[in-house]
Amino acid sequence: MSPRSSFERALAELQQDILRMASLVEQAIYDSVQSLIRLDVAGAAQVIMSDEMIDELYLEIEDKCVKLIATQQPLARDLRVAITGIKILLSLERMADHAVDIARATMCLSGQPLTVKCLDYIPRMARLAQQMVKDGLDAYVNGDVQKAREMCALDDEVDYIFARVFRELVNSMREDPRTVMQSAYLLYVSRYLERIADHATNIGEAVIYLVTGERWELN
Amino acid sequence: MKLNFLQGVSWRPVVSYFFLMVIFFALLQLYAAKKLSVLGALLIILPLSVLLAWLLYRRVIGPLNEIIAAARDMARGNLDRELHLCTPDEIGELARSINEMARQLRETIAMITEEKNRVRAILNSMADGVIALDRDGRVLLVNPVVEEIFDLREEACLGKKILGVIRNYDLERLLSRTLESQNSTSEEIKILGAGSEPRFFRLQATPLKSCHGETGGVVVVLRDITERKKLEQMRTEFVANVSHELRTPLTSIKGFLETLLDGAIDDPGTSRHFLEIISQETERLTRLVDELLNLSKIEERRVVHRWQRVNLEDIISRVVSLFRPRAGEKSLTLILEVSRDLPAVYGDPDMLAQVLINLLDNAVKYTPPRGSITIRAMVRGDQLRVEVEDTGIGIPAESLPRVFERFYRVDKARSRELGGYGIGLAIVKHIIRAHGGKIDVQSTPGKGSLFFFTLPLAENVSG
Repeated sequence: MSPRSSFERALAELQQDILRMASLVEQAIYDSVQSLIRLDVAGAAQVIMSDEMIDELYLEIEDKCVKLIATQQPLARDLRVAITGIKILLSLERMADHAVDIARATMCLSGQPLTVKCLDYIPRMARLAQQMVKDGLDAYVNGDVQKAREMCALDDEVDYIFARVFRELVNSMREDPRTVMQSAYLLYVSRYLERIADHATNIGEAVIYLVTGERWELN
Repeated sequence: MKLNFLQGVSWRPVVSYFFLMVIFFALLQLYAAKKLSVLGALLIILPLSVLLAWLLYRRVIGPLNEIIAAARDMARGNLDRELHLCTPDEIGELARSINEMARQLRETIAMITEEKNRVRAILNSMADGVIALDRDGRVLLVNPVVEEIFDLREEACLGKKILGVIRNYDLERLLSRTLESQNSTSEEIKILGAGSEPRFFRLQATPLKSCHGETGGVVVVLRDITERKKLEQMRTEFVANVSHELRTPLTSIKGFLETLLDGAIDDPGTSRHFLEIISQETERLTRLVDELLNLSKIEERRVVHRWQRVNLEDIISRVVSLFRPRAGEKSLTLILEVSRDLPAVYGDPDMLAQVLINLLDNAVKYTPPRGSITIRAMVRGDQLRVEVEDTGIGIPAESLPRVFERFYRVDKARSRELGGYGIGLAIVKHIIRAHGGKIDVQSTPGKGSLFFFTLPLAENVSG
């Protein structure tokens, strides 16, 4: 086997590894949102526990990436594959952390029924954020620049909903001081979702850079 | 045996070979006898060779060219081409063999295609999802169920690694484990499908072995077990609920009995009060057990004992008259809007009365004073439709799909205060189902709820 083809294989394997981690992260985001909607403490605990595995995987794949760059000294597109690999890994790891944050908030919120109304907005935001993560990764798999750009457009909608949730939660705190605790946690949750969406746009930018070699600021 | 090599040799080439020999010999003789000059010999030979070349072209090269063209065409896949060379010589024989070969190939290919289509049809009509991967873990095949579950197209995922198509950690791990170990494995996994609800699947992965015994890829079958999972969860909840419902009155009975035994029995006033509470709680327990038995009887489909023609109008007016006093206490208006000449339905009159009693009981319970309750009955198509509408507190949207579950209560505290167990609507649903009807609910919180059910008309039901 020529050294080149072993390098090609290592690059392909790297992408598989990233997707494997991505599958865990997607699951974690989904589970954290579900456990929040149902105030399911057991589900939230599971999300927090699964983060350890994601962190381990992250370090392992990052090491592989670094080794690849150090030993093969890739150039041009190959170098971009390795570099965007690290970027996407970082985004994924941050998203997983936000999923854990949401799960922690769920733990704190559970025990009393939710009285704050904006719980309609949060699932919508969550759906959009999840869609963005999914689209971003699909774009990465297929090297689909068009999809990456479209996906990033969704971020505006997430930001818009976030602004609304913020206003509503602040209003509800003002009207009924008893809901301050809940509102504060929900505010955190919506902030985390907004961050997850931002990280998804980072993945989109990385995909565009990977395919075209151009920088594209999407948000 | 010795003449075998002569078979298939036609007489023409042999004859022409001898003919040529004779001419050549004659010319040689003439030339030797000085009767023919070189020029003369050439003049004789030239037309002869032209004639010979022409014959060769007509008989051999032309047909061979045609055969070559046809063979190339067949190699490209056009097996419908047929050679029309019916000469009785070797070339004709070759053409016939090629035609025969094309026919055989056509048949074989048709057979294989049919076989393939049959396998494909079986795969397509399976209720389970099927994914096949080759030895390198690339997708060979997915069936329509998988396309639907993961919202993808088969053409888009052929030849790709599974993670590039379906990002599911457990699925990928199971598949790569099976590929490596070449042992069948099975597992239950959760899949975040297209909808918001997660779906559960039982995966059965089996290594693919080619007929030569070498190891190939892996095939995985996905069976949807979401319903089963849900039922399991409902059963767990049910047991927990029943235990809770039974324990609450029991705790209270036990507490008061212990207090009585500890000496409160000597105080006639207190003991009487305690005994009254115990009696109430016992009554509550009895009612709960009765309703549970009722429910299990209906659920076991030991249903509709007295199957007969029923006039629903009578039942409605009887049940409504039962509720008039209670409605009067809360100043609720009971409005009856029953179409005239309501056709009969088949069923058990007591059970249908039970349905109306449970629905009206809820309506009266959850409608604040001075509200109204409307009971409507009408014919819709080939169904009888009965509605019970109230102006009560309503049901939040997220609880609507669950109100017919056993022990589901929208607001536990309030429901218990009003003496509910969360079984009434479950019984209603089962009775209506046993009668071949449907029940559903619409509600706006704060405005009221509308419960409606349909029953097939008697003339449409045989027996």
